[in-house]
Amino acid sequence: MSSITLGGLLVGLLLVLILLGMRIAIALISVAFLGVWLLRDNFTLAMKLMSIATYNGVANYLFATIPLFVLMGQLVSVSNVGKDTFEVADALLRRVLGGLGIATVAANTVFAAVTGVSIASAAVFTKVAVPEMTHHGYRASFATGVVAGSSILGMLIPPSLLLIIYGVLAEVSIGKMFVAGLVPGVLLAGGFVVMIMLAARFRPDMVFDAERLREKRLSMAELPRLTSRQLLSKSLPILLLVVLVIGGLYSGFFTPTEAGGVGAFAALIVALLRRSLTGRKLWQVMKDTGSVSVGILILLVAANFYGQMLAVAGVPAAISDFVREIGLGPVGFLILHIALVLLMGMILDSSSILLIFVPISAPIALALGFDLIHFGILTVIAVEVGLLTPPFGIAIFTVHAALADRRVPLEAIFAGALPFVAIMLLLLVLLAAFPGLVVY
Amino acid sequence: LPFLGRRVGATEVIDIQIGSSHPTTNIWAHAMQAALQPEVDRLLAEKGAYSVRWHENYGGTLYKFTDTRTAVRDGIVDIGMVGTLWEGSAMPLQNITYYTPFANDDHMAVIDIFDGLTETLPELKDSWTAQNMQHLSSLITDSYGIYANFPITSVADVANRRLSAPGSSANWLAGTGATPVDGALTTYYTDIQTGVSEGTLSFASGIQPTRVYEVAPHLARVGFGAMYFGGIAANLDFMARLPPEVAEAIVTAGKHTSSAHGAYVTERSNAALTEMQAAGLQTVDFDAAARTEWAATLPSIVQPWVEANGEPGLKVLHAYFDALAARGLTPARDWTSGL
Amino acid sequence: MATPSHAPEGPGKVPPFRRGLQAVLDIMGAAGTVWIFGLMLMIMADVAGRNLLQMPVTGVAEIASRSVVAIVFLMLPAAALRGNMVRADFLVSRLNRVAPGVIRLLEWLFCLAGVAIFVLIAVSAWPDTAEAWRTREFFGVQGVWTLPVFPFRLIIVVSGFATALALAIAQLMPVAQTAAPLEI
Ligand code: NA
Ligand code: NA
Repeated sequence: MSSITLGGLLVGLLLVLILLGMRIAIALISVAFLGVWLLRDNFTLAMKLMSIATYNGVANYLFATIPLFVLMGQLVSVSNVGKDTFEVADALLRRVLGGLGIATVAANTVFAAVTGVSIASAAVFTKVAVPEMTHHGYRASFATGVVAGSSILGMLIPPSLLLIIYGVLAEVSIGKMFVAGLVPGVLLAGGFVVMIMLAARFRPDMVFDAERLREKRLSMAELPRLTSRQLLSKSLPILLLVVLVIGGLYSGFFTPTEAGGVGAFAALIVALLRRSLTGRKLWQVMKDTGSVSVGILILLVAANFYGQMLAVAGVPAAISDFVREIGLGPVGFLILHIALVLLMGMILDSSSILLIFVPISAPIALALGFDLIHFGILTVIAVEVGLLTPPFGIAIFTVHAALADRRVPLEAIFAGALPFVAIMLLLLVLLAAFPGLVVY
Repeated sequence: LPFLGRRVGATEVIDIQIGSSHPTTNIWAHAMQAALQPEVDRLLAEKGAYSVRWHENYGGTLYKFTDTRTAVRDGIVDIGMVGTLWEGSAMPLQNITYYTPFANDDHMAVIDIFDGLTETLPELKDSWTAQNMQHLSSLITDSYGIYANFPITSVADVANRRLSAPGSSANWLAGTGATPVDGALTTYYTDIQTGVSEGTLSFASGIQPTRVYEVAPHLARVGFGAMYFGGIAANLDFMARLPPEVAEAIVTAGKHTSSAHGAYVTERSNAALTEMQAAGLQTVDFDAAARTEWAATLPSIVQPWVEANGEPGLKVLHAYFDALAARGLTPARDWTSGL
Repeated sequence: MATPSHAPEGPGKVPPFRRGLQAVLDIMGAAGTVWIFGLMLMIMADVAGRNLLQMPVTGVAEIASRSVVAIVFLMLPAAALRGNMVRADFLVSRLNRVAPGVIRLLEWLFCLAGVAIFVLIAVSAWPDTAEAWRTREFFGVQGVWTLPVFPFRLIIVVSGFATALALAIAQLMPVAQTAAPLEI
């Protein structure tokens, strides 16, 4: 049996194990270990590669920001800053159907300017937005889907880890990649908003939980409306946080990587000023931060080892040969490239996909007459779709871990994010057809 | 046709796993694919008894830069690029050039010296053997300079500036009044653009693909010098398993790769510089006086290194400076003085 | 669902050994939690020191990188015991209604695989750990700052065994689940 065949069988085994309910991290590590052992016919070597994977797989400053952004989310939540923000949004968007969903997208768009990693957005907004949305009558599936879907904006609107990696691999200006990400990012946010409004209007059963909505309406009728003074005082803390973090970032006080630490610290100060942190509550926040972070990070360790196994199987090289030898025209090549990225996005993490594909496809794209910046934005959006698609969708896992609510199963979140995947695919087609939206 | 089949049947095919933490567009990984592999193939084809089936693992999909030593030591690849720059603990002696800046910026000289010293100095040779590796060829960087968003003509100009200088290059700013900022090739652009730092210490062939010159249009060719970055190495168990003829071909090809690599770094750094200048990069060349002034400003940064590495460290330091002198190269500062 | 699973999760329901293990693993996890907080303070110190005092904290990036690994493996055993690792259970919950025996068998197989792979993780991490101790391996820059590698490696060895034990105990001494699935 060839390495590639064996590699394909191992991918299949992984899918079966995940579907049968094996813990995803354990499934990834086990299949990776088994794969290396079989492929190289060498048990010792598999052990050595596993040692590398566990010790160095997530030893990365960028990953260090994940627990920090999780902490920030927990603090924003415990100090009721999140709740207040959503009350304001609810008050402002009361007349708009799906207002809170739109508020979540809007908040994510702003937050995207602060973080370079989508996982961070997902971790922060799960804690802040999902409880409020379900409280206001949204279905858990839709609420979590909105958070996961709009977290994608974190890596399209600069700063962005993926745009940086692409820029380095394809040797194009990171600054120009950042500028090119802006319009598609805003378009995507707009697309999400329109989709939410349409769904709320025409498929309310998909968005709202009828019973909860009725309960909410009854209780709302008794509630006094917010005065403009209340509106202001309730929105002040979040505005301060956002201004502080974005201001500090763009005035060069700290880096996007450091924004996690600074943001968490600022949220801590806000929580302390609001007197919402007792010693016990602080400990609870820290404990929750830990348990959410470990759920996300162990997946990254596992995914990294699994990626190494695929490399041992020669999957990246085989794909490379396949793309090179098939000899397509520009349109055919683009479709094949995007399709492969989408396919890989189902089973691999985003940086690995870029590492595998960009060195192969960028030179071909250039030869076929593509603008590498345009090509890069298309590639990065396709890679980001993978954050939302089963069976390996890290944004979904993050929301699941951050929510820590057994009553909301993984597949509900995957289902809730599907409409967002559809919008992203539409955007891909639009941007492919009109390069002027990216490069101008 | 039958004859052809027999001939192919007569050559024994050897499988070799080769790889790196970097893609082959990188100067170090490039040497393996563009020089080492074809040269081994050519040498073996001349004799006709063996041929190699290469299994390429380039581009960091198999392991990352943190594991270049372990990967070759443990046989994850048979031949690989080992960045001793990242192995300050396990292979500290190889990092001498980073603790003796302003020594020299001749690419071939660094390569020759380290190819030679790795053969003749037991301290260097054994540190490869101790890691279950055989050194095949030397890998280097072109000369480090400073890419900044302000002009630099002397050491005084960096006082009270923030410069991206991770790892041991932070040493080169000691005593200058500049604040070293942590970072990596992937963060420099954004860091300088937003003002987190105002420039970075780097070399042309490495920095050009990241387009840092767009935000840092002033290059001061300070002349920190070309650095020994690491080597291409083979796993010792693998070498012992090979038919002697194949092992010999690999060693010979390693020598060829060293010089091919030197020529390529020169070509690439020149091209990178030309391209960056065409894109608007302003270049200032430090003359000998400005260089000496900077070097004199630094404390003895090699001292802690010598203290940490004892007698072998001292021996490597002297051997390196003797080799420079033997080539008629005079460093801007004699780091051996007093040691 | 055929059988209501609304049994209250009182402390009396948890076997003593499991409770003891939980306490030990929680302390280990707490160390990871405190570490996250320390990471935040270190980054703040670097940002403030660099901008206000021209005195950066050196090595933050590298220490933070190593910290992530330590944090994950410190917190993993407790998460394994509590069943806090992500899984997809939509097929399982449906299959459970028609063939609960098959699902029970699967759970045991997955548990065995999990225990085996984490024992292997611990064993695979040991040679490098011993080597780090023997050679006093460090990371950082000589003459600027260095930290020993050994404790960082040891965490993985300990965590590997502890996670294997936690997975085994979670299966051998289960506690009742309280939450019913929410309508989606
Ligand atoms: Na962003
Ligand atoms: Na996916």
